[in-house]
Order: sequence, then structure tokens, then C-alpha cells
Amino acid sequence: MTGSLHNLSDLDRVIHEPARLLLIALLSSVESADFLFLLKESRLTKGNLSVHLSRLEEAGYLRVDKTFRGKIPHTEYRLTPQGKSAFDQYRKNLGPIFDTKKG
Amino acid sequence: MDGQIDTAMKRGRGYWFVDGFTEMIAGGLFILLGGILLLRGIAPQHSFLAQFVSVASDISIVKAIGIIAAILVLWWLKNQFTYPRTGFVREKWVTVTQMLTLIGKAILILILPVLGLVAAFIFLPSVRGVLFSMPVWFPAGLGLVLAVLCVLSGEWMGLRRFRLMGALILLAGIVVGVWQLVIGLPNFPVEALQSNSLAALPEVVRAPMAETINRTFISIGLLTLVSGIVFAVSGVVTFLRYRKENPVPYREEA
Repeated sequence: MTGSLHNLSDLDRVIHEPARLLLIALLSSVESADFLFLLKESRLTKGNLSVHLSRLEEAGYLRVDKTFRGKIPHTEYRLTPQGKSAFDQYRKNLGPIFDTKKG
Repeated sequence: MDGQIDTAMKRGRGYWFVDGFTEMIAGGLFILLGGILLLRGIAPQHSFLAQFVSVASDISIVKAIGIIAAILVLWWLKNQFTYPRTGFVREKWVTVTQMLTLIGKAILILILPVLGLVAAFIFLPSVRGVLFSMPVWFPAGLGLVLAVLCVLSGEWMGLRRFRLMGALILLAGIVVGVWQLVIGLPNFPVEALQSNSLAALPEVVRAPMAETINRTFISIGLLTLVSGIVFAVSGVVTFLRYRKENPVPYREEA
């Protein structure tokens, strides 16, 4: 198996799903964000977004903080250190796959 | 694909500017600062206006309170308007390493005009000629620095409008410099212009030197004022677009 093919098989399947990849990318540049921000930016349905966030939480990539802002429930999501390193590794693995110069 | 990931990452970074409030408030502060500098330069000496501007600009606590008030107003606006519509984002804290890197880059950017000035002192036949033409090159140089900072921060946050803002600020700096050149620089005696000495200025050049400094303040004031207007207009346009796209608040169901 060549290096780039090996990278392909090493891709993290939890992150590799497009909707989850988008959510992780959105969260990677901020400290935390709430459900509404992720809903608006990802354009997923509420149900779909909840499922993907739960999947990321189960994998240990996401931490969920539930609070109240006044009387309104407020849920914030942030990447865990494990989630950050998994995303960094995913990007590292992804690079050589599209590097056509290596042929 | 990596480009799309980068775009998604920039969305979070640029969220602070999504509603235009930050630009409007920063623009307002720039307009105030530019206005004070400008009035300081053009108000007749010993007039009530000159004294008022002098007192207003000298009281640091007023500036500090103004900046804190602006930040509080910004928080309130975002809490009332933005977060209920498009959600809340907690921006990342800047780490010590990032802060040091940022300071290093800022110093590098600020060193460029200083190096340019040093080079001018070394290579130009008249040292004082460089000083005396300050109303021309200072606003152009400052406009360049501000424009570079504006464009770089815009690229980092994925905000293309910052390119236009940077271009307008640079243009404003050049126009102010050219305007100062067109209306003519203060008249200095020929012997003062030919001298390369950095010793104390003789009496004959004191008055034109004071005028040079005053006109440099006017140039900076004008540039700051125009930059403030550019920021404020950009903020208003961004706000109108944001309000059109998000007319009503969204409520997360319990």
C-alpha cells in the first residue's frame, strides 16, 4: 500500500462524514458556539444536527454545556483536546491524498 | 476540500463582525478621535473651541470611559439583536504565545516606516527636508500601515469587504498627502533645508516647524476621520444586509 493510500484508510470516519467535518471545522476556530450558530451555519435540520452532535460527543470530540440565558435554555458546544487533535490529524492525513505531484 | 474547511474555520473567526455593530462602533470612535485631532489643528488659538478640544483630548479617563462604554454597548447590542438571530459564539482566548507572535508582527510592520525614515535621513541630502515634508509622507505611510493591517485581518477572518476598506484607507492616506503637497509646505529658509545637522533648530525655523507639526496633526486627523467613515459605512451596509437575512429572532425549543 503506498503512503497516500495508507493515509486514505487512516482517515477518521467520525470526522470524515461531511456534516460532522463542517461542524468540527466551525468549532475548531472558536472557544465554543451554541446550537443556533451551528444550525444556521451548517444549514442542517435540527434533528440532523442533534444526531451529528451526539455522534461527535459519543466519540469524545465534543463537550456539551447546558445552561440558561435568562429563562431560555442555552446549549454550548466546544471541541475537547481529543477532538482538536483528531481534527489536526485528519487534516494532515487529507493533505497527501490530493497531492497530485507525487503521482 | 481543504479550502472549504478553511472557509468554515474563518466563519467562526469573523463572527464578531457578522452584524456590522463592531465596525459601526469602531468607526464612531475613529470619527471622534479624528475630529478631535482635526479641530485641534484648525481651531484658532485661545478660542473656546481650541480650549474645549484641548481639555477633552487631555482627559485620559474620558477616553477610557468612552472605550469601556463602547464595548458595553457592543455587548448589549449583540445580546439583544445578534445572538437571538444567528447564535452565540465565544471567541478563543489569545494565548501568551499568540500574543507575542502578534506583537512581533506588529513591531515588524511598525518598523518599516521607521526604517524608511532612517533611510531617508541617511540618503537624502537634507535631513530637515524629510522632517519638513512630514505632512505629506506621514498620512500616506500611516494609511499604508492601516490598510495592510485591515487587509491581513480581513484575510484571516475571511471578510472580503476588508480588502475594499483597506484600499479606501490607503487611498485616503495618499490623497491627504497629495493635498498637503498641493496646498504647499511651510516656507523654510534655504539654509535650514540644506543643513544636515540634527542640532537644535534655530529661531528662524521655529514657526514653520510648528506649522509643519500642526499640519501633520491635521493630516492624521483627516485620515482617522475618513477611516472612521469607511468603517461606519461598512458597518451600516453589513447591518442592513444582516437584518434583511435575519429579520426575526430564532428560539431554540426547550
